[in-house]
Amino acid sequence: MASETIARLDEQPIIQIENVRKTFDHGKVGALDGVSLNVYRKEVVVIIGPSGSGKSTLLRCINRLEVPDSGKVTVDGVPLTDAENINKVRMEVGIVFQQFNLFPHLTVIGNLMLAQRVVRKRSKAEAATIALDLLNKVGIPEKAEMYPGQLSGGQQQRVAIARALAMQPEIMLFDEPTSALDPEMIKEVLDVMLQLAEEGMTMVVVSHEMGFARAAANRIVFMDDGQIVEDSPPQMLFECPKEQRTCEFLSKILH
Amino acid sequence: MTNGPSEAVGIGSSRGRADWRLVMLVVSSVLILAGYALPMFPNRITEAVTRYSLGATRWSSFSVLVTEQHYNQNTAPLNQELDSVAIEVAPVTAHAGSGWAWLAQLLAPRERLGKFFSLVVCLALPVIAALYMLAWAWVLLRGKRDTHEQMIVPGFSLALLTPVCLWLAWQHQFDFSARLLGLASAALAPRAGFYLALLGTLLACATAFSYRRDTHRALFSWWWLVLATALLIWLLTRFRPQPYLEIWNFISDGIVVTLRLVATSFGLIVLVSLLGGLGRISHNRIIYGIASLYVEIVRGIPLLVQLLFIWFALPQVFDGIGDLLLAISPGLEGAAAVFYDLRLNPFTAAVAGFTLCYGAYGAEIFRAGIASIHRGQMEAARSLGMTPLQSMRFVVLPQAIRVILPPIGNEFVALLKDSSLVSVLAVSDLTRRGREYMARTFLSFDTWIMVALCYLVLTLFSSRAVEYIESKMRFER
Ligand SMILES: Nc1ncnc2c1ncn2[C@@H]1O[C@H](COP(=O)(O)OP(=O)(O)O)[C@@H](O)[C@H]1O
Ligand SMILES: [Mg+2]
Repeated sequence: MASETIARLDEQPIIQIENVRKTFDHGKVGALDGVSLNVYRKEVVVIIGPSGSGKSTLLRCINRLEVPDSGKVTVDGVPLTDAENINKVRMEVGIVFQQFNLFPHLTVIGNLMLAQRVVRKRSKAEAATIALDLLNKVGIPEKAEMYPGQLSGGQQQRVAIARALAMQPEIMLFDEPTSALDPEMIKEVLDVMLQLAEEGMTMVVVSHEMGFARAAANRIVFMDDGQIVEDSPPQMLFECPKEQRTCEFLSKILH
Repeated sequence: MTNGPSEAVGIGSSRGRADWRLVMLVVSSVLILAGYALPMFPNRITEAVTRYSLGATRWSSFSVLVTEQHYNQNTAPLNQELDSVAIEVAPVTAHAGSGWAWLAQLLAPRERLGKFFSLVVCLALPVIAALYMLAWAWVLLRGKRDTHEQMIVPGFSLALLTPVCLWLAWQHQFDFSARLLGLASAALAPRAGFYLALLGTLLACATAFSYRRDTHRALFSWWWLVLATALLIWLLTRFRPQPYLEIWNFISDGIVVTLRLVATSFGLIVLVSLLGGLGRISHNRIIYGIASLYVEIVRGIPLLVQLLFIWFALPQVFDGIGDLLLAISPGLEGAAAVFYDLRLNPFTAAVAGFTLCYGAYGAEIFRAGIASIHRGQMEAARSLGMTPLQSMRFVVLPQAIRVILPPIGNEFVALLKDSSLVSVLAVSDLTRRGREYMARTFLSFDTWIMVALCYLVLTLFSSRAVEYIESKMRFER
């Protein structure tokens, strides 16, 4: 259904990544090697690739948790260069981590309210209303007063999604959101993500959940060794991958 | 019915175990109460004849126990040149020497309770303990487990104090009679009632201790140690005002100075530690360099040397700067004068020294505490649009504080003790006051025991307080 490529040549991409390079440890470890990628509004892009191929690094470059060595990243027309722009862009770009990274000293609702109060300067009542709405949306309104440590992994990840959504971002980034979860909890998180995709959220998702990719992705990007090897709609990628490397990788993850 | 047999066995065995101890509780309280009915302490002075060297005599009768002060008021010297006083003491009746009689006299309404308050406490506590043991036995008989468990810790603590109290009560009379009236100590030995009551209190101790397994709480809660030390100071000043009350009066203003010094320094230390710790994790090389240099240099110099430097050498440094300014240009006279006039008072110098030194240790504690918080926390906060400072303030520090608090609490206790070093500067803290008193009276043992006890109360109290705050700050992970 949502799997046709939305080619809108007339429109400005919301995320523009141009020839980004990134190395770690003073150039010894290469992570990204000239990556270019455009993501348009309301698109869902799923990134796959073997471990260490630079997927996380690419994602983190989009909200400048990593600073590229060279190349240009533009989000919603704003080039990510100085500190002023970064905080503005970060408000518009939510990210969900593999390890949840919830704030353990705050309750669930406290997690959802903190940035709203501090960054968006919302009133307590307003922030609480938004937080409770979002908890309803991710299906755990009854856990509002609990601490993250008291929740299951799936519940924690849903709180993390709600926390990012509380800032009302334009774009959501997901870095292997289900990899740290027990199998029985994966579905509850994917359901929330599917719902988001249906509502038209622009999403970049690093994930090997092919069911999700099939159902929600407009494009699947295959990365290997710091480069984008292939970038195609799901059907095309699954049926006749252009590259040999893609075939090998797909056969591994599809069993 | 299904679990009937096992229940019966359970009750039976616990009863069987409880029985002998229940009897012990009753026996111990009966022993104490009976001991109080027998003569306990001899030589309760009711009548005395004072013979003065000029041949005059004065006969005095005391309706209550006498203290040294009381005695002197009643037998004032006839004239100033008086050099010797002989005193004869009328013997006491056995009846009047019993514990109950002592208590009755002390509590008689026409007498002022305040005068003998410490003695009343010492005499009354064993009786209270006896009643407590009886009540405890009653609780056990009724089979109320919860109440029993709650009674163990206070019961044990109470029982532990009672032998000491009996001994101090005897000392009270012994001390006065022996020292002032020159009576032979054999005549002052305690009588049967004392030993009986003492036996009872010891028995109560042992029985309470044998219940320790029934409670999950620490039997000797360390808060009691703080209390016991404070009580010891108080009893010392009451029972041996000469010299302890005098020492206390002399050094107590030193305690205030020590506390003021520690409180002021600690506030500044936390601030410097925070800044130093943040500097040590800074990505800015200059800030990191300054913070590291500070930590490394200051940690390498003994605190005492730092204090001596600040107090004795810093004025010379200021003078040097003044000279330098004048050498550069005579027009800088005003600025030079500021440096010539810049002199720290001892208190400020001490605070500066402690802040400098402890700030360096604190910086490392803060650095380690902040580093112990997973990188993802900072990233999550930053990805939500918070600035680095906001992320630190609202996300990292609140978590780090739980890691930081125990070692910083230890630093506080260490600071409390190290504050005694300022006695080398001209700060009249607790230790310096102790030295001054000793220089005056040469009572080294009594002075330093008193000073040590004062420090002990302060440090024990702060350790407990830190523990309490820590336990309040734990959270689910
Ligand atoms: N903080 C870092 N320090 C050093 N090397 C890193 C760091 N982050 C990632 N790398 C390296 O960069 C490469 C790409 O990593 P990453 O983007 O995490 O891969 P992926 O998410 O696809 O598994 C890997 O070789 C990894 O070892
Ligand atoms: Mg990764």
